[in-house]
Amino acid sequence: MQGHGMQGQRMHGGSGANGEPGKKSQVNRTIKVEMHDNFYKPEKFSIKDGETIRFVVANKGRLVHEFNVATRKQHMGHQKEMMMMVEHGVLEPDKINHDKMMMKMPNGETMEHNDPNSVLLEPGKTGEVIWKFSKKVDLEIGCNVPGHYDAGMVSKVTFK
Amino acid sequence: MISTIKAMSWRMVVAAAAILMVPFAALAGTYNITVDPVVIDTGDFKKDGIGYNGASPGPVLRFKEGEEVTINVKNNLDVSTSIHWHGLILPFQMDGVPTISFDGIKPGETFTYKFPIIQSGTYWYHSHSGFQEPDGAFGAIIIDSKDREPFRYDREYVVQLTDKHPHSGARIMRNLKMSADYYNRVQRTAKDFFADVSKMGLGDTLSDRGDWGQMRMMPTDIEDLQGFTPLINGKGPKQNWTGLFKKGERIRLRFINSSAMTYFDIRIPGMKMLVVNADGNNVQPVKVDEFRIAVAETYDVIVRPDEDKAYTIFAASMGRTAYARGTLAPRIGMSAAIPKLTKSPRLTMADMGMAHEGMDHGSMAGMDHSKMKGMDQSKMKGMDQSKMKGMDHSGHNMPKKPAFYAPGSGLIPKAKNGGKFLSYGDLRAQRPLYKHRKPTREIELRLTGNMERYIWSVNGIKYGDAEPIRLKYGERVRFKFVNETMMTHPMHLHGMWSILDVGAKKWNPVKHVVSVSPGTTVHMETEVDAPGQWAFHCHLSFHAAAGMFRKVIVEGGPKAAMLAR
Repeated sequence: MQGHGMQGQRMHGGSGANGEPGKKSQVNRTIKVEMHDNFYKPEKFSIKDGETIRFVVANKGRLVHEFNVATRKQHMGHQKEMMMMVEHGVLEPDKINHDKMMMKMPNGETMEHNDPNSVLLEPGKTGEVIWKFSKKVDLEIGCNVPGHYDAGMVSKVTFK
Repeated sequence: MISTIKAMSWRMVVAAAAILMVPFAALAGTYNITVDPVVIDTGDFKKDGIGYNGASPGPVLRFKEGEEVTINVKNNLDVSTSIHWHGLILPFQMDGVPTISFDGIKPGETFTYKFPIIQSGTYWYHSHSGFQEPDGAFGAIIIDSKDREPFRYDREYVVQLTDKHPHSGARIMRNLKMSADYYNRVQRTAKDFFADVSKMGLGDTLSDRGDWGQMRMMPTDIEDLQGFTPLINGKGPKQNWTGLFKKGERIRLRFINSSAMTYFDIRIPGMKMLVVNADGNNVQPVKVDEFRIAVAETYDVIVRPDEDKAYTIFAASMGRTAYARGTLAPRIGMSAAIPKLTKSPRLTMADMGMAHEGMDHGSMAGMDHSKMKGMDQSKMKGMDQSKMKGMDHSGHNMPKKPAFYAPGSGLIPKAKNGGKFLSYGDLRAQRPLYKHRKPTREIELRLTGNMERYIWSVNGIKYGDAEPIRLKYGERVRFKFVNETMMTHPMHLHGMWSILDVGAKKWNPVKHVVSVSPGTTVHMETEVDAPGQWAFHCHLSFHAAAGMFRKVIVEGGPKAAMLAR
């Protein structure tokens, strides 16, 4: 089930510095998240150290949005990849072209976007991220669609 | 009838509803403005001018989307005046253009504007009478959205630019009519001539000079009005307008170019700018290092200073003859280094329209084509192709993107730090105002002029001699601008939105000014949803006055949307 993003898991933050993929059987609680243009509801996320959370994410906006649990550095790296997705027509403002996503890049990787710490959704779609917050580090939930993170579509994760 | 109703935009419906609901409107504000003679101090010189409520720029008007505004404008001048609410969608009688919307406001009289606010964003207001706007009669408008903005910010500033000239507007026009290069200080010199001879040889140099002479233009004709002091919010570079911030804050800067004639390239060394709004409408956020603002455009950017230091807002005129400068700082009195102006760009043969595809060269009046044969056409072609390939790399699987500069143009901007320079092609509506549909027809508008006589025109005909453009309510018109001059023209249609074709279909940005570079063809589409009559013109004050201006008449439409005459 784990994804193989175009830069591998290290870049996308599939697991590592930001925690690890959570198991369905170990979910402590569920948080419902709405994605709007360009912000999350709720805007703040408070997590207990070590908790496994099931995020049920609904895109209520008019644009494609991402829900991504990562460190700031991981977000920065991912933003470059997302920019490439836009430039190659994989990502349109309100559409994800899944066929183009599977095309091989010059570096031999695809732009497939299915890492366990994130979900990328078209308007009206719902997805899920199960994440274990096993590392008490500075984490942000952010949208790396070009411009959205900088516009303020990013929320700090605070540990209780 | 049914199709007409279907074609009505939601904004039109809102407008009609808002007017019907006036007696019940909860939100209403009254504003009083006086039009006054003022003295403008640029730090370089002082001059008499015109302002509002005793100052130029006038007060920032802050409205709320959904508000019904009443604005009393009292004329304290000894000549007639007017106020046009630039970019606002309103009944045509409230649009403030003398002879088109109303009779103007006579000396001593008060005119009451009353209209519903059905939009949000950054706009401005200015006189539409004579040369009062270049003389200082302008101010900013902020309209707060009823919905949450798609971006966050902690504080905001208006950054309103102008090109204040020591001469009055009327005197500038007289001088330009006498000699079109009266204010062109960066003319090519004898020194340039000898430098070119040593580089190109005598024959080519003479032939090059001949080509430009036949065009009645010079490669330095980027700004036909030079010798001004650019101001930010009324302050010259020495007076240093300053906006305060706390480190880490997001600051929304609302840039408005209220210049008579000058485009600016804007950067804030040390900071990226997130462009979130263009001409009042939100755009999908795009991060840039620098952007160009045409006359009468607005751009909102968000910056986030992460250091406890001063930053310079640097706005270099497109022809690099002058700059505006302001400061963002944590404390008053701080300043940062002021960059040096880079070399003035030069127009190229591409800006003459030589690289222009589909252009009717036969219609270019005043041009001697036999003289142009001397030009190295093969070189031009080579240039085109390499440029095109360089530009096309990202669009191999997308429809052809419109070009907003002629390939090889001397005006193509580059970010000083080598980073990203905003292009029209980057703009995408955050929330399209209209359903995308096929235009019902196309109207070609050739932007034309005779530089020698300082006549500017549309389709070769100046305003005084032209028939109005007639549009039908409910249609979607595609305007095709073909710039046959060597100057850049910011075209402004009143009363209705200009949907700029950047090749993004329903995401095309919705603007009120569309800048058309020399040697290019640019398309915009307009949903004709505002009955009445409107102005449509180049927003360079002296080009508009010289004839690059049209009256637009919208025929038909619901009576409900019109105010009683």
